[in-house]
Amino acid sequence: MTRFIFTFLNGITLAGLYFLVASGLTLIFGLMRVINLAHGAFYLLGAYVSWTVADKTDNWILGAVASALTLAIIGTLLYIVFLRRFQYEELRVSLITLGIALVFAQAMLAIFGGEYYQTNIPEPLSFSVPIPGVGLSYPFFRIFVLLLAIVVGIALWIFIAMTRYGAIIRAGVDDTPMVSALGINVQAVFTSIFFLGSLLVGFAGAVGGTTNSFGMGTDGDFLLFSLQVVIIGGLGSIGGVAIGSFLVGVIGQFAVGYYPTFAGIITFAMLILVLAFRPQGILGKKL
Amino acid sequence: MTRTRSIYALVMVIALAFPFVTPDPEFWVSSGGTRALWLGVAALSMSFLNRNLGLMSLGQLFFSGVAGYIVAITSVNHNIKFSTSVPIAIAAGTLSGVLVGYIALKTKGVYFFMLTLAVTLGLYSFANQAQEITRGHTGFNGIPHPIMFGLNFEDVNLLYYLFLLIAVVLFALCKFVERTSFGIALQGVRDNEDRMISMGYRVMPLKMIAFVFSAFIASIAGVMGVFYVTNISPDSVGLLRSIDLLVIVVVGGATYLGGAFVGAVLIAVFEAIIQDFTVYYVGATGILFIVVLLLAPQGLMGISAQIRARRAKLERATS
Repeated sequence: MTRFIFTFLNGITLAGLYFLVASGLTLIFGLMRVINLAHGAFYLLGAYVSWTVADKTDNWILGAVASALTLAIIGTLLYIVFLRRFQYEELRVSLITLGIALVFAQAMLAIFGGEYYQTNIPEPLSFSVPIPGVGLSYPFFRIFVLLLAIVVGIALWIFIAMTRYGAIIRAGVDDTPMVSALGINVQAVFTSIFFLGSLLVGFAGAVGGTTNSFGMGTDGDFLLFSLQVVIIGGLGSIGGVAIGSFLVGVIGQFAVGYYPTFAGIITFAMLILVLAFRPQGILGKKL
Repeated sequence: MTRTRSIYALVMVIALAFPFVTPDPEFWVSSGGTRALWLGVAALSMSFLNRNLGLMSLGQLFFSGVAGYIVAITSVNHNIKFSTSVPIAIAAGTLSGVLVGYIALKTKGVYFFMLTLAVTLGLYSFANQAQEITRGHTGFNGIPHPIMFGLNFEDVNLLYYLFLLIAVVLFALCKFVERTSFGIALQGVRDNEDRMISMGYRVMPLKMIAFVFSAFIASIAGVMGVFYVTNISPDSVGLLRSIDLLVIVVVGGATYLGGAFVGAVLIAVFEAIIQDFTVYYVGATGILFIVVLLLAPQGLMGISAQIRARRAKLERATS
């Protein structure tokens, strides 16, 4: 029973992290039909930046802010320089982001080497909370990540569903030329979404770099997780990311905990199962 | 047509003479020629799909990996002869194409690309985790070279000619399939799927056969890879290797079958040379990839067509 509860807690807190990582990916895709395959590299870069800053300044929040802003700026610049010109050639853009991922991975390896890092948990949050009924305790920071994911999720939902800006984004998803004809600067909207999506993944890197160790290869792992999450949940939908993160996080952790040999296969079988019935993902729009 | 034929003949002459004319044959026959042929066959399976169905698949490495791991496991763990294990491995890799195709073919474009990438990454994480089956991160080392017809393929020249034979046969097979009514129907699906459906074609079986055929080629490439590098590990199906193949296909020209080999030769030579200058050759390959995508999206094979199109556009503009 204890094992079950721990596995579940691990799964659901990991789901929180996955949500933070994948929401940026889905946000960018939803509006622009661009799958940013450098997303895993962005995450890893965010983790490195926050680790470096937090290590120098001894301030976790400063590290998180630095990594979010760094990634937001890098992401936006890459978008403006490389991607904007080919925006309507989806595959070409995705391929370019893959090339960017390659260059980034190599650059990070050159700077930070092959070791693994982990950012220290900020002092005030570094305690454990007792789990009622079991007599054991669980690190609070992991629960904090889940809370963060919920807050970010609700904020994104309010932003997209209730604000004027969100309405423009939703309209842009459905019919870009029409929105543009209404006198809205769609290019600026696109750029700001790339900014926001990269900001989120930078922040996720700071958070994930604190709960999990990271290093060479983490970029590929998190690219895989994010792809699984958005494929299962349905690309372009924030609610889909929540469902996808929950499934991949919880089922993934149970698989690792109980059937380690087949963990990869089990998550993968789930993906196949979902797609066999809903090729567009659970909450995705029809293909 | 005669021009194409003379180009083919020229390429064949160069390929046959290569081990005897290359400088530093000890290095270049294996690291240049054999490697390019192996990667070229793997890339060919991608090009075939992209050219005839308009689908860019990163799942080819999954099939290669399935076939490669089966050969490695059976020969290292169970001492099964290659004459038994290789056909089984190729059959298994090909059949796994049915499973992947069943899901992936429901999607198109960038979805398809992403889904097949996830499939390959899934095999990578399985190979890493399932230690009892795949020996985890280390994988299988020291897989013996095949001995066929009394020939020991440890000899680099023999292995080169074996790979050349396989590459030529598969290339010709792809060309042949493209000219059959099946191939023409495929190109119809690529250009306008809805119209093909309303003309009464059952599109899904067509796509599935094409996909499984490409899985067959990829499986052969997987076995070639095991014989070439004599080991297999999760990295053989990792993200970097997937990107390597993609780079080859795109740099060579993704809508040309020959592009697979042009790209493979270029990348094999590029990486072999640049390794001497910098340890960051992966990043260098990435930069090459981005530059090609920015400047020549049709790849090297498409450059002349691109120039012709630009010239025609200029002429129209001036007249």
